[in-house]
Amino acid sequence: MSGARRWMIVVGFALIVVGFAGATDVALAQAPGAQSEESVPPSRVVPAGAKPAKGSAMCGVCHSDIRVKYEKGIHRSEGVPCTSCHGGNANALTVEGAHRDGFRGKPARRSIPALCASCHADVARMRFYNLPSDQYALYQLSHHGMKLAKGDESVAVCIDCHGVHEIRKPEDPKSHVFGRNIPATCGKCHGDPAFRKRHGMKEDPVKDYEEGVHGKAYLSGEDPSAPECTRCHGSHGATPPGVGDVERVCGQCHLKTRNYFIASPHKEAMDAAGQPECAACHNSHKTLALPPEKFAESCLACHDKGDKEYQVALTLSRMKNDASSEIAKAEKLVAEAAAIPLYVDDYRSRLQDARTALLEAAPVTHSLDSTLVEPHTRRARSIAARVSQEVHEKVSSRWWHKVGLGLFWFYLLLTATIITRARRRAAGRAR
Amino acid sequence: METNPEGKRSLLGWLEARVNLTEIVSFLSVFGLLPAELDSRKPLREALREAMSQPLPSYARWPRVLGILSFLLFLFLVATGTMLAFYYQPTAEQAYPSVTLIARDVAFGTLIHQVHYWSAVLFLLFLGMRVVRFFFQGLYARGREIVWMVAVLTFVTAAIADLTGRLLPYDASGYWTTVRAREVTDALPVLGPITSFLVGGSGLDSTVLTRYYVLHIAIFPILLLVLFYFHFSSVRRVGMSRLDTAPAHRSLRVAMYDLLLLVIFMVGGLMTLAVLFPQPFDAMADPFQTPPDARPPWYLLAPLVLMEALSFLPKFLRGLIPEAILAAVIFLPFLDRESGSGARRRLFRNLGIALLVIWGVLSWIGWFLEVRR
Amino acid sequence: MKDKEGTDLERRGVLIWLSRGFLALWAPAAAGVATSFLKAPSSEHRPGERAIRAGALSSLPVGDARFVHHGNDPVFVVRVSEAQVLAVSAICTHMHCVLKWDRDTSPFQCPCHDGSFDRKGNVLSGPPKKPLPQYPADVRADEIVVHT
Repeated sequence: MSGARRWMIVVGFALIVVGFAGATDVALAQAPGAQSEESVPPSRVVPAGAKPAKGSAMCGVCHSDIRVKYEKGIHRSEGVPCTSCHGGNANALTVEGAHRDGFRGKPARRSIPALCASCHADVARMRFYNLPSDQYALYQLSHHGMKLAKGDESVAVCIDCHGVHEIRKPEDPKSHVFGRNIPATCGKCHGDPAFRKRHGMKEDPVKDYEEGVHGKAYLSGEDPSAPECTRCHGSHGATPPGVGDVERVCGQCHLKTRNYFIASPHKEAMDAAGQPECAACHNSHKTLALPPEKFAESCLACHDKGDKEYQVALTLSRMKNDASSEIAKAEKLVAEAAAIPLYVDDYRSRLQDARTALLEAAPVTHSLDSTLVEPHTRRARSIAARVSQEVHEKVSSRWWHKVGLGLFWFYLLLTATIITRARRRAAGRAR
Repeated sequence: METNPEGKRSLLGWLEARVNLTEIVSFLSVFGLLPAELDSRKPLREALREAMSQPLPSYARWPRVLGILSFLLFLFLVATGTMLAFYYQPTAEQAYPSVTLIARDVAFGTLIHQVHYWSAVLFLLFLGMRVVRFFFQGLYARGREIVWMVAVLTFVTAAIADLTGRLLPYDASGYWTTVRAREVTDALPVLGPITSFLVGGSGLDSTVLTRYYVLHIAIFPILLLVLFYFHFSSVRRVGMSRLDTAPAHRSLRVAMYDLLLLVIFMVGGLMTLAVLFPQPFDAMADPFQTPPDARPPWYLLAPLVLMEALSFLPKFLRGLIPEAILAAVIFLPFLDRESGSGARRRLFRNLGIALLVIWGVLSWIGWFLEVRR
Repeated sequence: MKDKEGTDLERRGVLIWLSRGFLALWAPAAAGVATSFLKAPSSEHRPGERAIRAGALSSLPVGDARFVHHGNDPVFVVRVSEAQVLAVSAICTHMHCVLKWDRDTSPFQCPCHDGSFDRKGNVLSGPPKKPLPQYPADVRADEIVVHT
């Protein structure tokens, strides 16, 4: 067989194989008729004008430092380009070409809320992101917004809280508006002594907040439901509550307390005297709980020792003191019993009930009506007293165990004596 | 009504005429509790009197009471364990509440529970001391191989029974002790897979707890009973102790009185321990919270420390070393064949001392090091 | 001499019996501990201690009854009139079978031995001798509450 002929066979065979392969390809593509339009893979739905960073293509070439920040932000990942805030042409290849076509440069500070609002106040556009669109409206009504409208540029605008290029979601722990970062964010201005001096603010609200019960609970992570700044003052519509509004703000969380307070003689009297309601006793930013042994003292700020109002305070204070000391006594006994060791799980959970009852007495105290407070403190006291009594019984029954053990040994030794005698007799018999 | 040989009517005589009481009681001697045979053709009193007056080599004398004490403790464990089983519920949700019920609401519940606990502690301790005694008195020489191997296996089985019992209350210390113990047992090459198979999983949920329960109340007690039987049977064949050279001077009757005294003082000791040193109870086990002092039980501390120290070795080798040592201890009678030369005896003696010291030191290290801070 | 020996023997016999009696005391003591341990803690509770919520009053037509599961002692809640509600035990007083409700024939029928009770728990026929125990029931905010 000549070489040429062999080659022809090889090539021919190869052609046949290729032909078959092609045929099967076609057959495979057509055979399962189910491949209809439904199974076309859905392309990612992107709203018009939000194509990922298309309007940012060339900016980063020169503004690389800004690009680094922008890349970390939500606007980058949601596809909001540089040009949507700064204008210009992102695809131009020259600096001059880029800084044309409605280029805005660095937006003026006064115009920033309106600039952000051009997207964020657009209901239709925000619906896609499931974001609210009322922030601008709220901002305009806030102290910040009203002062800005009057030309005061030292107030906070959007970027002061949310950041400039590196804008992150509020849920992002690195965001300036992430819950635990809020006191520091507000503190950038309100914690600054020079700023406060300029605006005539005496107290340092951020430091006070950190020292109060709210700040301690929230910043330590102990109670994530404790408030940061915005929970009382609002965020976009930030305004300090007026004298008569304090209870409403505090009452957002302290519902029961508020109800009792409103019904009490304090509400009207305090409003008339210009006292800031809750804050009159508990302070504003440095919020303090009043422990039972101290709270009668705090009344002396307005009342005299001889007043009948002060007698009410003493009664309330005594009821709470009695309950809390009874609970403390029971806790001590339970701890002693646990060290023996005895089972105290049940007692612990009952003492928790007692503490809850005492805690329930706290809102009721704001009614200033001892007949309303009494059931709670009585319940706390009686639970604690009963626990004390039961634990005491249990501990003293352990003493009886020891007496029983002594008695047991007495009988045991008597038995042993009898058996030893019997053994001796048996040994004698064996001998 | 039938009369007994003395001509008096008695309930025993009436029964005797209908059942062979001697045959029933001779079960004790077949098992080994009565180291003399009962003649089942004679009436019970006569047969007992005959057996009791047989002379007996020295018996129930310290430290030779360890074996019989362990057996008595075993009977105690069975009795108290059966009582506890009336209340115990082997599910992850109900185990702890049911043990709390026993300890708090049931009359004598704490006592029974604490006696069970202290019996287990002493049981294991005495079995361990017994192995040590057998070793130093050379009680594994030719003819007594079975006695030695059974003694070691009894200790090992009792340790596993103890281990399975620790999980049952489902309190934090029991739970995490078991977790740490599984760390050791899972690393062993042959015993590890067997344990995993029996226990049925690495989690400690209800399905596994039920298996621990069955192992604790049925499988291992039965195994222990079989081992005790082997021991008694072997002792009947090869004699109480090789050291019994003194002439027999006591009757079985006297020995039985001694046994009774032993029981009395053991009961007294157990009650004292249970009342004065109750085992503290932890909170209910929380599988998501490891306490800082989670440690395996004392008998597994040394292997754990050894395996952690040898962590540079491949895993199967690490587990192989403690297992090889255990195997060497079990098969000691075949390694240390008495060839007459004193040097060889001394070598094994020194090896044993070294092993005990190393064990002690490793356990001591483990006790302090295994606390995570 | 002989007499003295006799009294010695007698005294010894008494002593032996005394010590035997003392040793025998261990048996009842041990039995006492064991039985008091094994006695199941009573699950009895004071009447009126537990309140069972037995569903909405409005969904129970007048003259009808509703079976209420409650642990081992289920009850029937019967709406006797527009305002009055009655709770009777659903356990037959004869052999502790659980009764069935049939509005048309006699109200409570026992499937085990054909005992039957009327709406108020009185025996109508069959082997039961005692009437069904009643529990206090009242209505709070349209919800029937049975106190057992």
